[in-house]
Amino acid sequence: MEKIRRIAILGSGRLGRGIAENAATKGYDVTLFAQGAGSQNAPYRIERSLDKKLEKWAITEGEKRVILSHINYSTDLKKLVDADLVIEATIDHLYTKQELLRTADRLCGPNVIFLLTSATLCVSEIALSLSRPNLLVGARFIPPVVDTTVVELSFSSDTSKDAINTTKEFINNLGKKPILVQESPGLVNPRTLVTLINEAAYLLDEGVSSAEAIEMIIIGSWSMQQGPFEMADRMGIDIILNWMEQLQQVYGDRYMPAPIIRRYVQQGRLGVKTGIGFFRYNEDGQRIDNLDNKQEEN
Amino acid sequence: MKILVLNCGSSSLKYKLYDMEDESVLADGKIERIGHENAQITHQSLDHSQIDKTTPIFEHTVAVVECLNLLVDPEYGVISDLNEITGVGHRVLHGGEYFKKSVLVTDSDLAYMDNKLKELGPLHMPANIMGIKACQDIMPQTPQVAVFDTAFHSTMPKRAYLYAIPYVLYERHRVRKYGFHGTSHKYIAGRVADLIGEDVTKLKIISCHLGNGASLAAIEGGISVDTSMGFTPLEGLMMGTRSGDIDPAALYYIMKKENIPMANINTMLNKHSGLYGIAGVGDMRDVQKGVNEKKPMHTLAYEMYEYRIRKFIGSYIAAMNGVDAIAFTAGIGENTPRLREIICDNLSFFGISIDKQLNQQRKKEFEISAPDSRVKVYVISTDEEVIIARDTLQLVANVHSQSN
Repeated sequence: MEKIRRIAILGSGRLGRGIAENAATKGYDVTLFAQGAGSQNAPYRIERSLDKKLEKWAITEGEKRVILSHINYSTDLKKLVDADLVIEATIDHLYTKQELLRTADRLCGPNVIFLLTSATLCVSEIALSLSRPNLLVGARFIPPVVDTTVVELSFSSDTSKDAINTTKEFINNLGKKPILVQESPGLVNPRTLVTLINEAAYLLDEGVSSAEAIEMIIIGSWSMQQGPFEMADRMGIDIILNWMEQLQQVYGDRYMPAPIIRRYVQQGRLGVKTGIGFFRYNEDGQRIDNLDNKQEEN
Repeated sequence: MKILVLNCGSSSLKYKLYDMEDESVLADGKIERIGHENAQITHQSLDHSQIDKTTPIFEHTVAVVECLNLLVDPEYGVISDLNEITGVGHRVLHGGEYFKKSVLVTDSDLAYMDNKLKELGPLHMPANIMGIKACQDIMPQTPQVAVFDTAFHSTMPKRAYLYAIPYVLYERHRVRKYGFHGTSHKYIAGRVADLIGEDVTKLKIISCHLGNGASLAAIEGGISVDTSMGFTPLEGLMMGTRSGDIDPAALYYIMKKENIPMANINTMLNKHSGLYGIAGVGDMRDVQKGVNEKKPMHTLAYEMYEYRIRKFIGSYIAAMNGVDAIAFTAGIGENTPRLREIICDNLSFFGISIDKQLNQQRKKEFEISAPDSRVKVYVISTDEEVIIARDTLQLVANVHSQSN
């Protein structure tokens, strides 16, 4: 199999941008195919993300320039002909993904591997619509992609060993550990994440404590960087709701969303992208209602 | 006999082909920006024919092939067949405790570097190892020699190389001072002895390698007894972008205050500190320019840089209970007379004095100490490659004499 150098990423949301930044940092040439609302923001968001790293000494000015030089942006899917590897990172909607991957399937070289990053859709479901079911591998990257260290790897009965091994090598090269799991809706991270978010949302709804207090207890208990509310706000509460509804269909009522989650989505309180979810955020995505300040006020 | 010296860095490859009859350089060159579409090759041969080209090179293996092709190139090459190369000497960053001197690389040596030493030098070791493997593949009959940057310091006594932390960490993980720039310090010690005209085993020498990275070595009786770099090349002197010594407890405090992980601390200390951290420029030439223009932060950085070198020299005089000669080398050591002057002027207590005019010279090696100086002071252009070539020749010659 050809060595992978040029990566095409379909979707310039948080996940797509994260994978792009990660791959470019490791020297891959990345083309980010931007679609839909907010996609024109992708170059700015990626540069901003690198600037934050620069401010905190994680990279140098020179490294930032090199990383940016590895990322191109395009809306023209015809450019997929150059890709050695295609990573799909669009919204978890079966028909959208099928449609997009079918187009990519027509345009890409016959040996190109496709990675499916979906949280809720299985490799087998998508493989049906492709001419290359043997080259479709599930790779659930976990946001924030640049910081997380594991990727959930899944495959269908059609996936070839070569495709799995090449994917493993690629993920290793990104500095992450690929971990094999059975293909199943929600895999490990999304299922446990929504369960935690949902339980925390119930606690808030029932008035057991404030969002800040619940968040602080959970963070402090398990030495987490972020608690469930901030994770939900960063993922997008609408995305969380969408996952839960899909998981509820498969697994039943233990994934029934807490009322407050539905309410927030109806009110347009979607998290970082709307400036308010469980917490408030500025345009840079930083929390405004700082945990420590809140504690001092109490 | 012709010996090829290879130095594979994280994204570069430098090479020199020697004719060991007279240690003359037949060809040298470098390949930079390995891993990119526009890698840059610069090659020059003895007759001064030169070639510069830009080409995509994604791996060190390919870079090695490019280099070997150039050496046998009908137009730019200097040999007609790779078999003319008797041995290849590789510069290897880290030998750990296992490699105390240069070795003819065996499969088990390579496996040891791969399994045990790679994580001690995550930036350079993978490239070093790839360079050796590439040469083994392309010229399987040619002996490969590894010359370690740490090896010269393997003579340090335990009291010098141990850190005063739980001993079990040394036992479990070999956490200790290793020291670097060993090949350079070894070369300098040899040259100083020659210039003085005394056997190196009778001398106490302080070698100051001041380049992008900087380290001092205390060399007593021809062997290294202490050096300023440590477990990694971060310890010791202030450098271009490296901090050198800092209280580790301050790092814990910074992590908490700035809310950053250990990985950021690592890059902060290695890439955002030193001259750059204080003056905003990491190149000594830029710092000096700022000093001339009386820029306060440039001046501060310069003073800090000088002060730390002087402190280390003082401590090594104490470590050896004396010093016969001090030598400055590498980019900053060779090209910054003013720095040498300030350092030596501030060491007058030890009877060190330099001739200010001699100090202004620019040539390969020269003495700068005044006639009445109790300590000889030299400026010597370092040559790590020739040491690598000599070690390689010696090990290869042993093989030949055994097989005959």
